[in-house]
Amino acid sequence: MTAPALHLQGISKRFGVTRALDEVDLRVERGSIHGLVGENGAGKSTLIKVLAGIHRADSGTLAIDGQVLRGFGPRQIEALGVHFIHQERLLPGSFTVGEALFFCHELRYGPFLRRRAQDREAARLLREYFALEFPPGALVSELDSAQRQILQITRALLAKPKILVFDEPSVSLVKREVDQLLAIIRGLRDQGLTIVYISHYLQEIESLCDRVTVLRNGRTVAVVDPRSTSTAQVARLMVNRDVGEMYPKTVVTPGEVVLQLKGLGAGLAYRDINLSLRRGEVVGLTGLVGSGAKELLKSLFGLVQPERGSVHLHGQVTRFKSPRDAVRKGIALVPEERRIHGVAPLLSVLENLTLAGLSRFTRACLLNAADEARESDRLIAELGIKTAGHDTAVRHLSGGNQQKVALGKWLGRDCTVYLLDEPSVGIDIGAKVEIYRLISRLARQGAAVLVLSSDLPELIGISDRILVMHRGALAAEFDAGQVDSDRLLACATGAHEGTAPGLCPVRETQHALV
Amino acid sequence: MPWSEILAQPLARRLGLLVLRRGSSGAFLLILAVLAVTAPNFLSPGNIANVFAQSAILGILAFGLTCVVIGGGSNVVAGGLDLSLAANLGLCAAVYSSLNNAGFDTVQAIGLTLLCGLAVGALNGFTVVVLRLPPLLATLASMNLIAGLELVLTQNSVLPTDSALLDTLAMGEWLQVPALAWMLLAVALLLGLLIQHSPYGLRLYAVGEYPEAARAAGLRVGLYVFSSYLIAGLCAGVAAFCSAAYFSGSTTGSGDMLLSVVAIAFLGVVFSRRLVANIPGTLLATLLLGFLINGFQLLNIASFWVNGVQGVLILLVVAMSSALRKEEGGL
Amino acid sequence: MTTLAATAVSRPLLSRLLRGILPLLIVAIVAFFSVAAPGFLSLGNLSSLVLNNFVLLAIVAIGMTWAVAAGGIDLSVGTAVDFASLAFVVLLNGGYGLVVAIPGALVAGALVGSFNAGLIAGLGITPFLATLGTLFIGTSVQQLLSDGGQPIYIAQPVLPGLTAVTWLGMPLPLWLVLAVATVYGVILARGRLGREILAVGTQVQLARYSGLSIRQISLKVFIASALACAVAGIVLSSTVNAYVPMSGNAFLINAIGAVFMGTTLSRTGRANIPGTLLGVLFINVIANGLLLIGWNFYWQQVATGGLILLVLAFSFASRRQSPSY
Repeated sequence: MTAPALHLQGISKRFGVTRALDEVDLRVERGSIHGLVGENGAGKSTLIKVLAGIHRADSGTLAIDGQVLRGFGPRQIEALGVHFIHQERLLPGSFTVGEALFFCHELRYGPFLRRRAQDREAARLLREYFALEFPPGALVSELDSAQRQILQITRALLAKPKILVFDEPSVSLVKREVDQLLAIIRGLRDQGLTIVYISHYLQEIESLCDRVTVLRNGRTVAVVDPRSTSTAQVARLMVNRDVGEMYPKTVVTPGEVVLQLKGLGAGLAYRDINLSLRRGEVVGLTGLVGSGAKELLKSLFGLVQPERGSVHLHGQVTRFKSPRDAVRKGIALVPEERRIHGVAPLLSVLENLTLAGLSRFTRACLLNAADEARESDRLIAELGIKTAGHDTAVRHLSGGNQQKVALGKWLGRDCTVYLLDEPSVGIDIGAKVEIYRLISRLARQGAAVLVLSSDLPELIGISDRILVMHRGALAAEFDAGQVDSDRLLACATGAHEGTAPGLCPVRETQHALV
Repeated sequence: MPWSEILAQPLARRLGLLVLRRGSSGAFLLILAVLAVTAPNFLSPGNIANVFAQSAILGILAFGLTCVVIGGGSNVVAGGLDLSLAANLGLCAAVYSSLNNAGFDTVQAIGLTLLCGLAVGALNGFTVVVLRLPPLLATLASMNLIAGLELVLTQNSVLPTDSALLDTLAMGEWLQVPALAWMLLAVALLLGLLIQHSPYGLRLYAVGEYPEAARAAGLRVGLYVFSSYLIAGLCAGVAAFCSAAYFSGSTTGSGDMLLSVVAIAFLGVVFSRRLVANIPGTLLATLLLGFLINGFQLLNIASFWVNGVQGVLILLVVAMSSALRKEEGGL
Repeated sequence: MTTLAATAVSRPLLSRLLRGILPLLIVAIVAFFSVAAPGFLSLGNLSSLVLNNFVLLAIVAIGMTWAVAAGGIDLSVGTAVDFASLAFVVLLNGGYGLVVAIPGALVAGALVGSFNAGLIAGLGITPFLATLGTLFIGTSVQQLLSDGGQPIYIAQPVLPGLTAVTWLGMPLPLWLVLAVATVYGVILARGRLGREILAVGTQVQLARYSGLSIRQISLKVFIASALACAVAGIVLSSTVNAYVPMSGNAFLINAIGAVFMGTTLSRTGRANIPGTLLGVLFINVIANGLLLIGWNFYWQQVATGGLILLVLAFSFASRRQSPSY
């Protein structure tokens, strides 16, 4: 048997007291697609950073084509033919496609750049590899995420790599783009490249990979063949705990209408939206990228201004002029970009939890520290936020606990409407269940909850009814108990209209654990 | 802001965007046209050459700042900034005058002066890259330090000096264009080639805009940032010769130029499609300011207005480009 | 980031040491000067040190602390000082009493602040460039008003030594610093506005998504900053009995230096009033001590610049060391 293309053995890495990697093994055969899966925090990204030479392992060896390496940096790794496609698209936005593609391997004329030649060559390569045409002179910032991803792959291919490592490449892609990406990767394997594919979408792994290494808590727990192992089995290996009671849904009889939209419309984003939210109700909202669902949610928090129609809150016509205005009127938003809009990682748990309702702690312009501490301790206990104390900075909390903080800051305000934008993205399975419980509890306590999610099984599991948007209009409404992902998806893509979907489906039921 | 929101905006706003884009160059031409009509002799070749020459000192300093802003990113607090440039010029001019008066030969005096500029650049680079101080603070502190050194050297007085080099710079002409104007154009050409047309420049942009991307591509980000401060230091050294030629020696109060330099470098941003700092844009901004000051002189408007006009210009331009950025998405 | 945080866990001692560097340095420097410069610890010297140098810089730096805490910077502090001073002197010379002149000066300062606030909150210009523009325009206006920088002296002796008044044995200007510091300090550390400033300064988007009004907060911050400067402007013109155009700019750099030195003292690396005051004291003690041991003004500037650089370097080194805040 020939030496494996890539062989990591006994890799350990500590960060202070936490053991990120504990004797991890990863053996990748030449010319194969090797999957690497694990929950968030299982050590996938640390392992990749060790491989990329960004982190130095405390112990263990790395061999490429049977040749053992000692003391290597990003440059050496690249020189050996290992290239990385990162999750974040690492391309400067103000660069043209040509500049980005040849960045650090510029085409020159003596000491000078050959910009035209670069742009020409870039166009040729993209056409040749992927049959793609970008507008001439396009800047990276003008491309969508799939185009940027392809640009990165092309960039890696330019260096004639032997091993390509994809680190969660599909996170911000929609279904059609994912299919395209997977086809490209298969093509690359058939040309003899060795591929390492990291993802937590098990369906991608199942359809793509020849072998899969499963990581859990920094250890290699199994190496399996996805053709003979079901995704459910792989999921069990990843979490090692029962995920049965995933959607704790209690039946609540909806109360009076809290928020009503009549013929709401904003530019080309959405139009003619009629919907009502009742007390004690969880309403799911979904739609493709560009369907207008995101803009609709933003309108309800004063971030986008509708131009037509009216919003009624408790029966009164109203308008949300700004987020501040919306908050004052009892609207709460748990945003998608958690670390930018949801919590401040550098501030303490207390400062985050009390920020949205400072007036409750204010006497004569001053804050009552004891009240604040009592209230945040109460919230920490109530939401089960795992933290050393209310003075800990939020950046030390896990994604799920950060999300609880983002939700918790609204709890003291007695909001009447909760808007949740992709509430479970990027948090692990255990924390997801807790977030779902919280959502259900909010409804039980009489709030109206609107959840925007592209995780359809999740939406079916937690909502009472589900609204689907398609090309700026409400396409359909379903009772959550009587619909499945396929029908929701068909509706969101417009398939039932018999039209070919011009826009792409939202990321569909790809999540492993549902 | 996602594309859908942009598309959702009415046509009028999209039109506004276009006006904003072309606005800066249009405003420049308008100012020139107004001055050309109102100010006597404004468009005479002699006067134009004169403006170029008078802009040399500010312009060369602003080129240095432009490089630093490119390498450090355009966020003024956390990004690249060199507030010590003007003080560095003062120190270099003082060093050159002292060396020249002390009888050092031409090559030594020039070499040591440029070395002084580079040393200040290296100090800034060290504090920013190695000590990781925010550039705003690091260069503010080094500005104080350098201004103090200049005071020690000159005892807060003018050090007159005279040399063949300064004579050539001050009096020399080629093709009826003064030597200082040639200096400005030469530095602009050199840095323009380096920054806009060489791999180094492209990488410097990447380092400033998206350091993670540069790092992932295997660049040593710190080295690039450090080098941008060295270029700035060198620019201060070169500008010092122009200043010494213009004033026949070192003068006090060179620190006053700082704010104009900052204004010019940030004004230059609007003359680019990508709204990034760039050498040709900085050259245009320098000349715009030069023409304004010159026009005011020709129109006999009190020079006190100059600062105010500069201030209004910065605010206008920045408000415009921040509006533009808001329209185009991102913060 | 994880690696940095991780290595720091094992070194809490070092980080604590670094954090304590500024107080230690001040103690060391005071000790050094009291030995090297015999007159340093004398009552006369200390009071002149405090009165002549500390008061003005302290008040300006207090205003600057708010601007920095809100994630901005105020380059136009000098303009606010000057405008307040100008209004104060003009009103006094116009025959109005202190009752009119003092509020007038405060209003003049607040106008500068409102101009900044309008640019920042209204037009969305970054504070650095907005206040830079204000500084330019302010300079131009002053030059035009004062014929290129001629001082305006207070005509009649209406100020029988406002600065010489003492109360409970403490000179009036010092009471002023105490009052301004208390108000600004308590609001920043314990007030609702202080927490909002912190949120805006740390993560402006979160503040917006939490329903805070960024505009109102920056409005308050920049007006408050200018108001503090206006107080300094009043003290300045009562001390020198004149309005000297563009004299306020002298405080800018030291004020910024003092504020950032003050952040070293905070466990969390946040701008805070007590820290700022210590920073101001540090700058003044050095300048005064160097003067007493016979260094001239020029060398003082070199030494101060070098020391500020050193302290800032330590400040940011300690921040990187601290594992959590």
